[in-house]
Amino acid sequence: MNIVVIGLSHHSSPVELRERFAFAEAKIPDALKSLRDSGIANEAVILSTCNRVEIYAATSLEPARAFVELKQFLTRWGETLSSPNQNITKSGLEGLSPHQTDIRGQYSSPSPRRGEGRGEGVEPDNLGVAELRPPKAALNNELYTLAEPQSLHHLFKVACGLDSMVLGETEILGQLKKAYGLAFRHRHTGARLNKAFQRAFHVAKHIRTETNIQRGSVSVASVAVELAEKIFSSLADREVLVIGAGETSEKTARALLSRGAHSIIVANRSHDRAVALANELGGRAVQFDDWAGEFEKIDIAISSTSAPHHILDPAKLEPLMKARQQRPLLLIDIAVPRDIDPEVNFLENVYLYDIDDLQAIADDYLRQRKEEIVKCEAIIGEKVKVLLEKRATISLPFDLRTAPTLNKP
Amino acid sequence: MSWFTDRHFFALAVVVYGLSTVYSVFLWRKGFRKDDHVNYFLLLAAFGLHTVAMFQRGFSLNQCPVNNLYEATTFTAWAIVAAYLVVGLLPRLRFLGAFASPVLFAIGVFALMPALDPKPGPQPEFSGALTSLHAAMILLAYGAFGLGAAAAGMFLTQQHDLKFHKLRAVLSLLPPIQRLEIITRRLVLAGLVLFTIGLEAGGQLPRPEGVSYWQDSKVVWSILMWLVYLALLLLHRIFPQSSRRFATGVIAAFAFLLLTFWGTNLLSTLHHP
Repeated sequence: MNIVVIGLSHHSSPVELRERFAFAEAKIPDALKSLRDSGIANEAVILSTCNRVEIYAATSLEPARAFVELKQFLTRWGETLSSPNQNITKSGLEGLSPHQTDIRGQYSSPSPRRGEGRGEGVEPDNLGVAELRPPKAALNNELYTLAEPQSLHHLFKVACGLDSMVLGETEILGQLKKAYGLAFRHRHTGARLNKAFQRAFHVAKHIRTETNIQRGSVSVASVAVELAEKIFSSLADREVLVIGAGETSEKTARALLSRGAHSIIVANRSHDRAVALANELGGRAVQFDDWAGEFEKIDIAISSTSAPHHILDPAKLEPLMKARQQRPLLLIDIAVPRDIDPEVNFLENVYLYDIDDLQAIADDYLRQRKEEIVKCEAIIGEKVKVLLEKRATISLPFDLRTAPTLNKP
Repeated sequence: MSWFTDRHFFALAVVVYGLSTVYSVFLWRKGFRKDDHVNYFLLLAAFGLHTVAMFQRGFSLNQCPVNNLYEATTFTAWAIVAAYLVVGLLPRLRFLGAFASPVLFAIGVFALMPALDPKPGPQPEFSGALTSLHAAMILLAYGAFGLGAAAAGMFLTQQHDLKFHKLRAVLSLLPPIQRLEIITRRLVLAGLVLFTIGLEAGGQLPRPEGVSYWQDSKVVWSILMWLVYLALLLLHRIFPQSSRRFATGVIAAFAFLLLTFWGTNLLSTLHHP
């Protein structure tokens, strides 16, 4: 019995195509049952996230035949979903973390993307509820198919975040565990897939501890949080001021809140927007002209206004620092042009980072992760080899297996 | 192995402090990204050798080994490494060892100078329970000040990296600067309390005739050091001042202490009759 994989991912296809084949969590058990009842797979797991839709199957069929059957299964599934009453844009995208919605955001513009099938029969503004027409051609290059040992390599790579859009991201492991857990609970896995998936989780943990593939933050918001954690002994009592309620400053504020920041104050030229964001974040809004008055209380300020000039300079900040009794202050300036005069960084206990500084840190972390790829792939190669060798040993007749070592008298 | 004396054990400890110093340079070059288990165990090994040396000396004298300048210096170094081994159990503070080991190595090399360890005569340089208390408290205080200076060094390193947007500020495993500031302050405070107890005990000791207590160089120097550390803490607490200045002050105070301690001791008729 072979473990095979068939699927689409962000590498091979655009989101407009992936969303056609995404599986809603509630539908997965039925889909798995259908796969097994049809005889295509003896065991199966379906992984459906915003960046990939994959079927892992343990099958007695020859791989070439299995791929044909699985492709037909997927195509039928996609056609079923494309009937007008299905809200497929939300299927498979539920429960996304802000990071993943970040990734969604990259697809929201109708800019050309890789992969065939992009734009065929798809309205450009496709992340809202879209009306879809059936694809003109069946899936071809968008699908990838892998048999052993490449299928196992792929599974391990996915678990470790090596195949993710953000290299080394850790959420995919949770999603993979969830997908496996769902199939396991509904009794659609057996010895083959159980062993493979459990080994994949073990490899992911091993790689996390032995390499730097998951170390550091690769988004601007996460880097800002790391900086805050290098300055303040705890984020628990920290107050955050958001000046200019833009998307990145909102993400940064959310990231700080998720790490325990105490409260958020929002100031925006449009007070309604400030109030809306403050309510979402569980904070409070202040009039835009009054933000300076909040400086005595806050520890972190995130600025992203569209002001053409500096809104904060040393002359304005010095008296505010005196009022704050020189407590450390972290300023994150993600506006272009910059909101904060760079000279402010030379004031005592003030730490100013602009968008380039944050991006440089994120890029460096990404570079470090990329340097770890070779090491990770070597580990994965070794683990796949061990898994296959163990399986081969178990399947040998007893007398042909290596005899156990007897204790010498 | 009767030829293997306490000084040999201490010399071995100093060698290990030296190895730790070399490894600390490696950690610094790597931007403190690698966890500091190796350095902790090096210092633990050195502490073991150092403790054996002190016990051997103590048993041979039948009293607490703080009877001459060599013993006082080794005791100070022992106090620094003992304090570090406790504090360094916390993973985020383990890198303190990388800053403490050069200080320990320097103190150790200095202590091994033969002139600091004359053969014990009929009358030790300082003796008696109150004297031992005085000496031990003062030397423990020096240990706390030394570790405080190491923490201040870490603070300045990390603060500089953050200020100048060095990548290692984020990539390193050093603790946050606010925590380093708190640790520095607490170590200096602990040192000041021990110093106060030590000075008070010293003030109760019988004074030899013909020696002017308040004009003794060591007494004057000690009061000066006490005032310096008190001022550092008060200025930091009461008046708004930058943490960088506080850290710099702590390092400068300990450097001054190290550089002037032995000379002042030699000039002191109370401590070096």
